[in-house]
Amino acid sequence: MVGEKYQVHRQMYEAMRGRDSPSARMVAGWLGGVFDAIESGRPIVYHSFALFSEVIVAMDLQPLCCEAWDMIASSVDPMHPARSIDTAHEAGIPPEMCSYDKAIIGSVLQETVPPPAMIALSATPCQNVYITYQAVAQLTGAPLHVSDIPYDLDERGAMEYWIGQYRDLISFLEEHSGRKMDYDRLREVVEESNRCVEYWLELLELQKLRPAPRSGPLWTGTYAGMTAFGLPSSTAAVKALLDRVKQDVAEGKTAVPDERIRVVWFHFPVGWDTGLIDWMGELGAAVPYVEMDGYHAEPVDTSSPESMIRGMARRALEVPMVKIAQGETGQYIEDLLYVVEQWHGDCAIIAGHPGCKWISSAYGLIRDACRERNVPVLLYDVDLVDFRVVSAEESRTRIGEFLQMVLEQRN
Amino acid sequence: MTALEDFGRVAASLDNPYIERWKHEGGKVVGYYCTYVPVELIHAAGMLPFRMRATGSKSTDLGDVYVSSSTCTFCRHSLDQAMRGAYGFLDGLVSLFSCDHIRRTYDVWKHGKVELPCSPFYFEFLSVPVKAEPANVRWLAGELDRFKRSLEEHFNVTITDEALARSIRLYNERRLLLRRLYEFRKRDAPPVSGAEVLEVLISATAMPPEEFNQVLRQALVELEGREGRSDYRARLLLGGVDLDDPGYVRLIEDLGGLVVADFLCFGIRDFWDMTDEDGEPLAALAKRYVSNVSCPRMIDRPGRQQFLDDLVKDYRVDGVLLQRMKYCDLWGGECAMTQWDLAKNGTPCMILEREYLMGPVGQMRTRVQAFLETIEGC
Repeated sequence: MVGEKYQVHRQMYEAMRGRDSPSARMVAGWLGGVFDAIESGRPIVYHSFALFSEVIVAMDLQPLCCEAWDMIASSVDPMHPARSIDTAHEAGIPPEMCSYDKAIIGSVLQETVPPPAMIALSATPCQNVYITYQAVAQLTGAPLHVSDIPYDLDERGAMEYWIGQYRDLISFLEEHSGRKMDYDRLREVVEESNRCVEYWLELLELQKLRPAPRSGPLWTGTYAGMTAFGLPSSTAAVKALLDRVKQDVAEGKTAVPDERIRVVWFHFPVGWDTGLIDWMGELGAAVPYVEMDGYHAEPVDTSSPESMIRGMARRALEVPMVKIAQGETGQYIEDLLYVVEQWHGDCAIIAGHPGCKWISSAYGLIRDACRERNVPVLLYDVDLVDFRVVSAEESRTRIGEFLQMVLEQRN
Repeated sequence: MTALEDFGRVAASLDNPYIERWKHEGGKVVGYYCTYVPVELIHAAGMLPFRMRATGSKSTDLGDVYVSSSTCTFCRHSLDQAMRGAYGFLDGLVSLFSCDHIRRTYDVWKHGKVELPCSPFYFEFLSVPVKAEPANVRWLAGELDRFKRSLEEHFNVTITDEALARSIRLYNERRLLLRRLYEFRKRDAPPVSGAEVLEVLISATAMPPEEFNQVLRQALVELEGREGRSDYRARLLLGGVDLDDPGYVRLIEDLGGLVVADFLCFGIRDFWDMTDEDGEPLAALAKRYVSNVSCPRMIDRPGRQQFLDDLVKDYRVDGVLLQRMKYCDLWGGECAMTQWDLAKNGTPCMILEREYLMGPVGQMRTRVQAFLETIEGC
């Protein structure tokens, strides 16, 4: 039965599990878990990418991050997201919504994603996710839990409120699964995710080196966070990547040998233009930091159930996009400029994804702030998921002209 | 001038004679962008709450310097108006995370890109939950306490419990009067049009509530003696995004569709629910505002659909017309989900996309005409 449905992901699973690579084993482990859950009836919990999966894993429920489900499929079938998006459009979902989210709704409508028993949503980073997860709940009938986040996290009592919301998520999972949280198991899971984060932070530090050891998105970390956080397979995948990068650094290998310009890519990457980073490298541009990889999380104190809940709740606010989307534009700008400084960026590129109105509606403020700090910034509109909106040629022309301008200014 | 004509005059411009008089007498006006701002607190502080519109805007040239073309045209026009000094009567601005467009529009104000009408200008941003469970209500109550203190500090006033209780009663009275207005719409031949009701609701957000209630009482008397309209082709419910231009409703009604109910922010969502007058005022306000008939900023789809279904029954609606502004994600998704649900029970539904300003209306007229024909054919 599983073989008949979810063909694209099934192919992905078959391809991945045969590979001798920790990253492939991590992805295969996650997909295999989903297929096993379908067969065994183990409840599947949809969760937005802004919620890590540790509590779901610890309760032996199957996490399914909807954003990752569709992103991962495009590597096997580049048309998969486009078909899902078209299905959502046909159902009346407007084109200007986020294409990550439209793909999720389309996948549910097409039944190319297994149905959930429960849905867990963190009300961030934007309102497209509100729409999407409500639509999924409406289409599937699954119960939806929402963790509300205060707008300004530095405000009075905001963190305690958020922690309370996170604690409530555990109650929701217990109520709808009929299982109790095993805090000893949770401790194991969190200790594992702590190790994963530790390796990840070390990797991000190495990316500060000039020239940068890697350029562009570090997909391993993204999938570790989205799919298998707290499982040994994700820790192993990140550790393996870290070891390779360390070895490259020791051997003097760099991503862009003639690194003339360092770009901070302050958003998710253009997922469908897989050659973009290499092409930028040919122009002498390295991308040492992509916001998608920007976990700056602290380890969670595992000494008690309470300390774990508090720590996980805090860490959930450090998910890429979440921290920069929450609060007013000034916080976004502060984070952008911090990253530019820390990762020695010469400039920044911000891709104006159609769904991200919280960025595009702040273009003017971002531009002014960058000018004041003498940080060249390219704000350009491109769909990060749907290759049919802005062509690769058009996208690269904008980037190429910008990089040329930055180089000329430096010279 | 009749009372309804008075409301029509108020709705037709940003400023109005009531605001002019208020300002002339030394009163202060605080703008707000969203129905989730508890206006009772502003009123109890002795100020006039004014719901932000961009009525009279002609372009978005100045606003577009700071936001993008994918920001909704309401925000672009509103920002443009602000940069041109059209809100010269404001002494402050309150906002919240209504949507990604509005929160960034507020940021542009806050970051000093708008020449402020006065100094020091009051800014406040409220953190309003997206769901209405007890913990969320408690959070909002704390937030309203902070809001209250910030008003007191900035304007050097004291908001007493008595003043707040009076404001709550006053706004509840307004809500009851508006409910009486909506009762007229249930009739076979409603004596009031949808466009007129929208003018009333806009006026409710741009007049001192005491005077608004007085004029509305007069309007209700006038309506009792008015002949109703029975020559309509269909009874419609108009839902969707912020709509502050009665011209759109007139277009629909000129074609024979009578708007007898709505699901609008300048409409039923603004006034339907009452505030408990017996409870602790801030807690009562928190409960009322976060549990009110929700808009899509709240994660409450089943609640909204249930309310809409009840309206369809109570007002004997023949068809639901949902309108949304281009680039509005929230209403874009909400319209689709509402249409899915309405299709289940066979209620005709159409989604109209529009911009803030009424431009060429030929296409819209054709679509409404076709919708009315569909309903007549049902």
